[in-house]
Amino acid sequence: MSLAADARLALKFASRELRGGLSGFRILLACLAIGVAAIAGVGSIRAAIEAGLEAEGAALLGGDAEVSFTYRFANEEERAWMTETALSVSEIADFRSMATVPREDGSTDRALTQIKAVDTTYPLIGTVGLSPDIPLPEALSCAADTPCIVAEQLLTDRLGLTPGDTLRLGSKTFVLGAILTNEPDSATGGFGFGPRIIVRRADLEGSGLLQPGTLFDSHYRMTLPEGADIDAIKAEAEGRFESSGLRWRDARNGAPGVARFVDRLGAFLILVGLSGLAVGGVGVSAAVRAYLARKTSVIATLRTLGATRQVIFLTYFLQIGALALLGIVAGLLLGGFVPLALAPIIADQLPVPARFGLFPGTLAEAAIYGALTALVFTLWPLARAEEVRAATLFRDALSAGRALPRPTYLVVIAVFLAVLVGTAALFSGTWELTLWTAGGIAFALVLLRLAGLLLRAAARRAQSAARGRAPLRWALASIGGPRSEALPVVLSLGLGLSVLAAVGQIDGNLRGAITRELPDRAPSFFFVDIQKDQMPAFLDRVETDPAVSRVDSAPMLRGIITRINGRPAAEVAGDHWVLRGDRGVTYSGPLPDTTRITAGEWWGPDYDGPPQISFAAEEAAEMGLNLGDEMTINILGRDITGTVTSFREVDFSTAGMGFITAMNPSALEGAPHSFIATVYADAQAEAAILRDIGNEAPNVTAIRVRDAIDRVAVLLQGIASATSWGAAATLLTGFLVLIGAALSGERDRVYEAAVLKTLGASRRRILGSLALRSALLGAGAGLVALAAGIAGAWAVSYFVLETDFAVIWANALAIVLGGLLANLLAGLAFAWRPLSVRPAQVLRAQD
Amino acid sequence: MTDPILSLNDARLTLDGNAGPVDILRGITLDVEKGETLGLIGPSGSGKSSLLMLMGGLERATGGQITALGHDLTAMSEDALARFRRDHMGVVFQSFHLIPTMTALENVATPLELAGKPDAFERAAEELAAVGLAGRADHYPAQMSGGEQQRVALARASAPRPDILLADEPTGNLDGPNGQAIMDMLFGLRDRHGATLVLVTHAPDLAQRCDRVIRLRDGALDRAEAAA
Ligand SMILES: Nc1ncnc2c1ncn2[C@@H]1O[C@H](COP(=O)(O)OP(=O)(O)O)[C@@H](O)[C@H]1O
Ligand SMILES: [Mg+2]
Repeated sequence: MSLAADARLALKFASRELRGGLSGFRILLACLAIGVAAIAGVGSIRAAIEAGLEAEGAALLGGDAEVSFTYRFANEEERAWMTETALSVSEIADFRSMATVPREDGSTDRALTQIKAVDTTYPLIGTVGLSPDIPLPEALSCAADTPCIVAEQLLTDRLGLTPGDTLRLGSKTFVLGAILTNEPDSATGGFGFGPRIIVRRADLEGSGLLQPGTLFDSHYRMTLPEGADIDAIKAEAEGRFESSGLRWRDARNGAPGVARFVDRLGAFLILVGLSGLAVGGVGVSAAVRAYLARKTSVIATLRTLGATRQVIFLTYFLQIGALALLGIVAGLLLGGFVPLALAPIIADQLPVPARFGLFPGTLAEAAIYGALTALVFTLWPLARAEEVRAATLFRDALSAGRALPRPTYLVVIAVFLAVLVGTAALFSGTWELTLWTAGGIAFALVLLRLAGLLLRAAARRAQSAARGRAPLRWALASIGGPRSEALPVVLSLGLGLSVLAAVGQIDGNLRGAITRELPDRAPSFFFVDIQKDQMPAFLDRVETDPAVSRVDSAPMLRGIITRINGRPAAEVAGDHWVLRGDRGVTYSGPLPDTTRITAGEWWGPDYDGPPQISFAAEEAAEMGLNLGDEMTINILGRDITGTVTSFREVDFSTAGMGFITAMNPSALEGAPHSFIATVYADAQAEAAILRDIGNEAPNVTAIRVRDAIDRVAVLLQGIASATSWGAAATLLTGFLVLIGAALSGERDRVYEAAVLKTLGASRRRILGSLALRSALLGAGAGLVALAAGIAGAWAVSYFVLETDFAVIWANALAIVLGGLLANLLAGLAFAWRPLSVRPAQVLRAQD
Repeated sequence: MTDPILSLNDARLTLDGNAGPVDILRGITLDVEKGETLGLIGPSGSGKSSLLMLMGGLERATGGQITALGHDLTAMSEDALARFRRDHMGVVFQSFHLIPTMTALENVATPLELAGKPDAFERAAEELAAVGLAGRADHYPAQMSGGEQQRVALARASAPRPDILLADEPTGNLDGPNGQAIMDMLFGLRDRHGATLVLVTHAPDLAQRCDRVIRLRDGALDRAEAAA
């Protein structure tokens, strides 16, 4: 018979069987729907953010295009080019500083702030939101004789200020004109250490801030004529000012950092979602298997009547396919419309603009994942269904062999699996992470399957030891015996818990690494922007303090490595992070005592010949640098070319000072610069140091390392909680699969209970046995998940994050307990029927 | 004369069928003497199994009274009934009803375990040997033939030495020779342990081996037969 004829026949059989309704398929539908919905939901939110970023790119950037410099303002030539090219130009300086408020009792409150010094044209695009709702110029000229600022609520709260109050920036007094509620170009600033203040740059005159050598960025926002060729302008800017450290951005990518972050986090969450879908797949597979097991006699009968294997396969493939499609569509509707419905709430939570809508590409991605997962997980049982022979009718279904499906099916399954992984890699854009995830899931599945088999074998063996303790022995018998649900339960619960355990361990270790380990070795403060003439007084204050155990200080400049051996640096060293943007550069005559030279020689204290460079050894090796290489570094718009004469060990992990490049003093001393210092002090002495330095040198910014770490921790917390949501979806699916397993086993439980009651078992003992059975299975799954999760977390920590790893036992224990409880709950939820049923009802029906 | 070991007084059973309540047993009054073998015959659907279920406390009578060994079964809780069966009754079904997740030996040991016998497994092994299945102790029900399964069920029912054995067409699913063997064993067990046996059967020759035969028709005792 032809395929078409077979298919028509199969379609008829399939539709007849589906008339029975969907009752046996709720779990299958739910598993697919939740998995697809989670992925579609995450994808929709990501797409909404991307759409928002794109639509508001110009506002986010503060102009159609922006050029920026580190550590300096634009020079005459650059300014001339900008005014010539753009309709309007706005100049901004962005830097850290301290805001202080002297109190009546003589003390002073201080807070770190990120200052944006603007000109009168700011903002070129978008509006600054203020409370009270007044225009920015009005707020910045709120007082007749004193300059004004606006500040974020976080800062005004910290310093106890309300509009009209005064505060000091550097050595100048300002009035708070209004509270800053919306900074249109906030997403471009990158990672700020303190809340924002906006001030006119002209008003900073006399404050001692923004002196030569201050660490600041300058930004020039431009509006361009309608129809301007942005690519051409960009090329011109980069061509003309290539080596001067000019950075270009335009509205097409207004907030590249945010976009990249959202993209990465989105991809990661989708991979977590895929793990959830894999758990769902286990449930789908179990549901299909259970369904086909019930259909064995139908299949055998059809075979007796002459149906070919192909007809049988197609009959059930069409049925399951129709159901899978239904589940996927439900998932798409859920994942597509729920974010849309919740758009106002979600938008409130996001720090960036988002434009919600239905994103066909995203939904298609989720649908593809759902379809491929359904295919991979149903083909196996389906392929085995066609192996059912007519003779099965006359023997017990249990004795049917557990043969592998035909090789063709195995190949097809493998191909779909490869397509699934490939699609995920393509969409997420990271092969590495995708392969890690896929490998992790595959590893966990294999491990869990082995564990399931082991658990069954162990239960069988333990039975003889449990003789005499009837409920325990029955529990072990139903775990170890035929028709055991150990495999699906261990697989689904185990995989869900593995993901949760891995996420928990990784998160805990990351946070632990930052909050626990670092502060022991890290300094109490970074001081930046110390002027050269302030250094003696500064050092005198901290070095004579008995509470200070160590002070490191170094001159600090920033520069961009532009050329290596006369060729553009990127050509030589590729896309190394050291070349992306500007890096700290220092100089020193004598070799600092914390520095170890690994190759070459350090210039002497009195050297004043041509510039020499000492480069960080590890990065040099990665970039392929050799001693004797010529390197050109652009510092403040001037090129300085030197020879690499030594490599040295730099430890970035201690949060001390790590400079990639160091040069001899005579090469850099002439450039305007400031000093940076780290101070290691007892916690009790911190406040006094802060006060004295602040009074002595108001322009100096002090960064408490503990505060900075807290901010990083808060950021991590956000990522971790996003990930936990993903893991929770996985677990929810896992729980559904558990319920599915419990549901499909209910008939067996009812039957066993009826027989046991006939033999004289009380309900209490039967309940005890059911509970023991669920708890044992759950604990088993939890233990395996723990092993798999810890292994996964270790691998991620070791290979990807390169951090130390320690098992977090509290979390681990919670996972095992959680598994036990979840399965106990699922089991007990289905204990009622076995307990309440009268034996006659069951045993009679089977007679 | 001693008290009957089993006594039914106007026992009734009404179940909810698809088309409303169905009267399945319409007032059965019947005594079974200790040591007696009672045959229950009647056409299919006449209520034989239902009657046996009532006697075993596996089904609750919706009317009337059932006493076994002086205990009123109709007044007992579900668990009390279970314990009563554990201590006094063995049941054999037409379709065996072994627990599929347990081996033959474990199936037989289960009622002994329930009764708290420390040597449950040793005794179970002896019982299995007695029905000729010593070599099959570690087999699961699915790995055994129907005849073998029924022998396991028989061993399981008789292992705790019940006072009353209830058997519902124990040979109904078996072919001639196998059925014959099962019946020989059943009567052998009765003789050896002196149990009272209530046997539902279709086969006239089996009925003849009973001390007394009662015929059911449409949920009621066929009076003519009962009197005979
Ligand atoms: N659960 C039930 N609900 C309603 N009617 C039932 C149920 N089980 C059996 N019956 C009916 O009760 C009657 C007696 O059944 P049964 O005791 O099995 O008879 P027998 O064993 O003599 O064949 C039959 O008519 C049967 O259809
Ligand atoms: Mg019957």
